Amino acid sequence: MMIELSELQDAAQKAFPADGLVPDRDVSWKLIAEMGWLMIDLPEADGGLGLGRDALATILFEQGRVLSTAPLIPALLALQAIVASPDLAGREDWIGRICGGEYVPLNLLPGSASVQADGTLAGRITGVFEADMASHVLAGLPGRYVLIPNDAPGVTVTERPLWDRSRRLFDIALDGFRPDPALVLAEDEAAARVHDRISPAAMVALAADSLGGASAALDLTVEYLKTRRQFDRPLAMFQALKHRCADLKTHIASAEALLWSRCIDDAASNIDLGAMKAMATDTYFMVVEEMIQLHGGIGLTEEHQSHLFLKRALLNMQLCGSADNWREAAGRQALAKFAG
Amino acid sequence: MTSEAHLETLRGEVRGWLDVHAPKGWRNARQSHEQFAADQRAWFLKLVEGGYAIPHWPAEWPGGGRSLAEQKVIYEELTRADCPRLLLSFVSTYHAAATLLECGSEAQKARYLPAILKGETWCQGFSEPNAGSDLAALKARAVRKGDVYVVSGQKVWSTMAQYADKCLLLVRTGADGPKQAGITFLLMDMKAKGVTVRPIHQIQGDEEYCEVFLDDVEVPVADRVGEEGAGWAVAQATLSSERGLTLMELSYRMRGAMHYIASLIRKNGLENDAGVLRDFGQLVTRADAACAIADRFLANRIAGIERVGDASLVKNTYSRVLREYSALGLRLGRMDEQYLAPIVFGDLNTGNFMADFMNSYAWTIAGGSEEVQRNIISERMLGMQREPKGWAA
Ligand SMILES: Cc1cc2nc3c(=O)[nH]c(=O)nc-3n(C[C@H](O)[C@H](O)[C@H](O)COP(=O)(O)OP(=O)(O)OC[C@H]3O[C@@H](n4cnc5c(N)ncnc54)[C@H](O)[C@@H]3O)c2cc1C
Repeated sequence: MMIELSELQDAAQKAFPADGLVPDRDVSWKLIAEMGWLMIDLPEADGGLGLGRDALATILFEQGRVLSTAPLIPALLALQAIVASPDLAGREDWIGRICGGEYVPLNLLPGSASVQADGTLAGRITGVFEADMASHVLAGLPGRYVLIPNDAPGVTVTERPLWDRSRRLFDIALDGFRPDPALVLAEDEAAARVHDRISPAAMVALAADSLGGASAALDLTVEYLKTRRQFDRPLAMFQALKHRCADLKTHIASAEALLWSRCIDDAASNIDLGAMKAMATDTYFMVVEEMIQLHGGIGLTEEHQSHLFLKRALLNMQLCGSADNWREAAGRQALAKFAG
Repeated sequence: MTSEAHLETLRGEVRGWLDVHAPKGWRNARQSHEQFAADQRAWFLKLVEGGYAIPHWPAEWPGGGRSLAEQKVIYEELTRADCPRLLLSFVSTYHAAATLLECGSEAQKARYLPAILKGETWCQGFSEPNAGSDLAALKARAVRKGDVYVVSGQKVWSTMAQYADKCLLLVRTGADGPKQAGITFLLMDMKAKGVTVRPIHQIQGDEEYCEVFLDDVEVPVADRVGEEGAGWAVAQATLSSERGLTLMELSYRMRGAMHYIASLIRKNGLENDAGVLRDFGQLVTRADAACAIADRFLANRIAGIERVGDASLVKNTYSRVLREYSALGLRLGRMDEQYLAPIVFGDLNTGNFMADFMNSYAWTIAGGSEEVQRNIISERMLGMQREPKGWAA
């Protein structure tokens, strides 16, 4: 397994070289589909590679390093929801289409919708990445997972421009939308089961993206300090700056160690994984905050790459549950574990 | 048998053995240094007998030759059974053993290693008043006279030296060349004439380390490890020994000690205080990360893919989380922690948070301070340029 992970890592680095930050989205997406990354953790029985979450994390870590523009995470999560829905009509067909590159995202922010008197759905789904290239959206709503064709009557897709330059986010408004019963994946208890199935992958994915980004941001910062000269010496020679970089490295290393151990730990609860994600996004934030400061004035220019990391890190913090909530849940869980 | 099943069998064995032999009530009994030393000696010999004292030694030793995974199981069970940490025999089983196994002569190994298992204890005489982080600046002088070295000087912060039978001693034998070049490594008998040991009173009321005064102490040349002037390289073997398993054991013990914080939360009726729960949740997550990075480090070490600086990442992670742990305990313990309370000699994570907090500095200062680790990480791992040498006052 070690070998396979390093092979995956090599492949990911070759496909997306470190000097190509924020690569073109559509080209990236095609490449990702060709590389088979959508099938990475798909069970072999469903035609996938059947690799573990560590394989998923390896790819997403590398995607995070280059500030990937392709919506691999929402697509992988939608695929998992479909895999976890045995009753979905044409399930195999959907899996094949998505693995082949048809883009169907899961929303990564909450949505809400209510059934109207006439049986139509009204509501709003937020946090849909790159919806302009999607055929359908797999909407995770309270008590319901449903596939919504983007061009169906009663569906309006609106871009919500972001500070983050590496991704595009959309809202989907539903008004008079009549869901096709054949496209409903799960309702009520079944929906809760689907949620529990995909939530761990979401946490691992965001943590990996964040720590990949954090490590690339630190590398770039250290590189800059080594070459930028002031007071007749490289800035990297100043111990005040060295120690800050060393602390960032330590934070990244321990958050990474937690990621690699928890992502393959079957005993890890959703809360354990959520707290891990919170640690990863906090670490990303800590690193990008320092990245700008340690670059001085150039770090505040649009032309420089630092802001791209900053903005992505800040958006990651908002996805799939807040750090405050996850930490509180982890505290409660630990309290129960150490019962008096 | 699968390795998984094998580990579970071992776990069962260790647990069964501990059910019978694990010391109970030792914290309450530890009210004096004498009691501390006596219970440490007894527990160490008991562990030797059970085969669990030196799982990290090579296989030819009884109880040695355990794989990383097995060692982990043993430490997990010792922690779970709340056994006392081995402090008195720590330098013997790690530092002395690693030094002898890696650099000692056959005669030295035969003489000193078996004695360790019979209870002989060692201390480490490296630091001096003017050689702390800059260890190579040490000055204790050894002059060769025939078959012996005659040693004079002062050592400081020597842990458990007041109980030690032997000492891993760094001395200066040469003054030429770079300061590392004139250092020699000796094995000194603490009972030898001219050795004076004075315990140092610490801020938390314990006396874990000592000053050691050396006044024309004779050390046989046969007790020199490596060549004269090659002591710096030998000392690296000594120092790296504590970087591996120690931090894994300590990290697991720290995680196990979270129950003290949980009790304080309950005691103060803060079970639903979101702010406190968040801090606790963050702490346990960081403690888990400390365990994870220690595990990963050991796995890499066994696989031979350890990188320079990896140990520093582990140490700085552990020592910071330990500080945060004890600081949270102090905060939640409120005024209770301010009233003087008895300490448990030689223990860590005792739930006396004032003492635990003060104790946590041991890990940010000893074994290469937090700042020195940062230098290693930034210069040797991240490749940031070193400052030019040659500052003169
Ligand atoms: C609990 C404990 C047990 C110990 N046990 C032993 C033992 O058994 N045997 C033994 O020989 N020694 C032992 N030591 C000594 C230990 O190795 C030294 O305390 C340590 O190396 C630091 O040296 P120092 O105390 O002289 O501090 P100093 O080196 O004087 O450091 C003072 C401060 O300056 C900082 N500093 C120093 N150099 C630098 C630098 N280059 N860059 C940035 N900051 C720097 C340090 O981090 C520290 O914050 C022990 C210490 C402790 C606390």
